[in-house]
Amino acid sequence: MNIRIKRKTDFSKLDQLIERYYEGLTTSDEEKQIRDFLSLRDLPKRFEVEKEIFGYYDQKKKKPHASILPYFRWAGVAATVAIVVFSLHVYMNTNQSNYACIDGKRIYDVHQIKTQALESLSDVSPKTNEVEEGFKNLNDRDLIKQQLDVFSGL
Amino acid sequence: MAKKRNKMESIKKYLVLVLITGFGFLPNLKAQNDLQIGRVFELYGDKKGSVMVELTDEMLEGYDFSLFKSITINNNPQAADYIRKCLTKDETGAKKVKQVVTNGIPTSIYLQLPRKGQLFRLILFNETFKPVQKITLIYIESKNDSEDVLKLILKKK
Repeated sequence: MNIRIKRKTDFSKLDQLIERYYEGLTTSDEEKQIRDFLSLRDLPKRFEVEKEIFGYYDQKKKKPHASILPYFRWAGVAATVAIVVFSLHVYMNTNQSNYACIDGKRIYDVHQIKTQALESLSDVSPKTNEVEEGFKNLNDRDLIKQQLDVFSGL
Repeated sequence: MAKKRNKMESIKKYLVLVLITGFGFLPNLKAQNDLQIGRVFELYGDKKGSVMVELTDEMLEGYDFSLFKSITINNNPQAADYIRKCLTKDETGAKKVKQVVTNGIPTSIYLQLPRKGQLFRLILFNETFKPVQKITLIYIESKNDSEDVLKLILKKK
């Protein structure tokens, strides 16, 4: 019984609010109350028009929200993937940047790697002191004599 | 509605493209990648008959190398020719510290590259023919002066 009385009062209040709405006098709080009323299931048929009007406005408000959400979702996914891949890259670089690849097979033992590195350094370094050797040749009297002999025969 | 879907699709494609491009370029951020010899390590590094070494921030004979990369290739004259071509390009702007020419072909080249940031950079190349044909290519990045690094390498063994 109490509930019925309450509903009657509510709808009369809704009538008043709608009237104020059409006159352009409603506050945002009152408009919220109207929306709450209109969202009730067993609403009398006379409020169908208002329901449509408010339904239309609600849809309009939701529109931009619905279109922005996927952008954020994709940006979030992209950011997560970026962070994971970047972390992996940093991890791989810090942990496995020291290696030797022998006949296509990788080894990570630092001692072995250093041995290989020193070997390659030894390959490029001159086996004799080339400058000293050059000077030695220049001072070699026998060599000079030999070279002069070539011309003396001419 | 169809327009919106198309727009979303293009945004998705754009994001994927940005990611792929970004991570495709990530490994290329190393200083050596502005050089042609970087290709030599990529091409011959994991081939049979090759020994490739990469050391980062390690000490070698008392010298602190930020990056030490070397490759030794046996019995591959084509690789030697390719390296020489790469070195010709990398010589631009570099100081040639040493070059040995045998029968008209450079068999030993030391290049002091222009500094990249705080790093001194060197390229060392050597080819020997006895007992077998052997190519050695080294790329060094160091905070130490490259002249000092060269002294270490050039010292009599």
